[in-house]
Amino acid sequence: MTEHLPAAQQDVTLLELVDRVLNKGVVLTGDITLSVADVDLVYVGLRVLLASVATLEQPETGGA
Amino acid sequence: MLYLYALSEHPAAVPPVLGLDDTPVAVERLDAVDALIGVVERERVEPSEAAILAHARVVDAVTAANDAVLPARFGRGYSDLDALRTAITARSAELDAALARVRGCLELGLRVMAPRNGTRGRDGSGSGSGSDYMRARLEERRQAERVADEVHAPLAELARAASRSVGATPELLLSAAYLVPRNAVEDFRARLAELGDDHPDLTLACTGPWPPYSFATTEAAPR
Repeated sequence: MTEHLPAAQQDVTLLELVDRVLNKGVVLTGDITLSVADVDLVYVGLRVLLASVATLEQPETGGA
Repeated sequence: MLYLYALSEHPAAVPPVLGLDDTPVAVERLDAVDALIGVVERERVEPSEAAILAHARVVDAVTAANDAVLPARFGRGYSDLDALRTAITARSAELDAALARVRGCLELGLRVMAPRNGTRGRDGSGSGSGSDYMRARLEERRQAERVADEVHAPLAELARAASRSVGATPELLLSAAYLVPRNAVEDFRARLAELGDDHPDLTLACTGPWPPYSFATTEAAPR
């Protein structure tokens, strides 16, 4: 469901995808779930990604 | 174990897509809904990139092939069909309501980002004590949050349901999801583009359309 997107938008899209798959969606009782430690590990990677997105989103003008 | 990808209204179409570990996807009618499942030879599923993308790929395909789909959260397994049936039966009223809510809709995501460094508070106006600086930053943020509200409200009007959270970082002003009828996605995007033109200082990153992940949690209240 992606189109031709600039790099920053693609990173946002990946971030949003992982966020949805891991944190949203229906949960039923009695299921076998991931351990919290595993999900935290994914988020360490995501924070790095989010930082890179913020950098990419920064406009090129207006350096201090 | 049985791995759950999504629930759908009966009768669900099963797309020809492979899931985790390249295993096939099957459908089982359980109570009033159909469960899209796979059989994986694992005790537990690690959230690797490959597994997350496989889950997303199946949910995408199931959503494209059916009108009312509730994506399952990643990594949920059941020992057998009876365990899954019991879990579904216990929530059947909520699941029916959630299926009705998402029927015919897709989800669009929006992140509204502020300029990295505020234009004010940085222009070297002499006195610059720490509290002056903090006050300026705080006011700047309030202003930006008001602007984010101005973006969110008109988009929520176009959606059957919407959810939002205020950002986790100073730059991220708004993170929101909108449940939009499939035939209104283009209108939604056009409105978003107008709002972007109205607020050239903000970065509006729209993602999707997604399967309705954010509106599949049965506890999520519409709007």
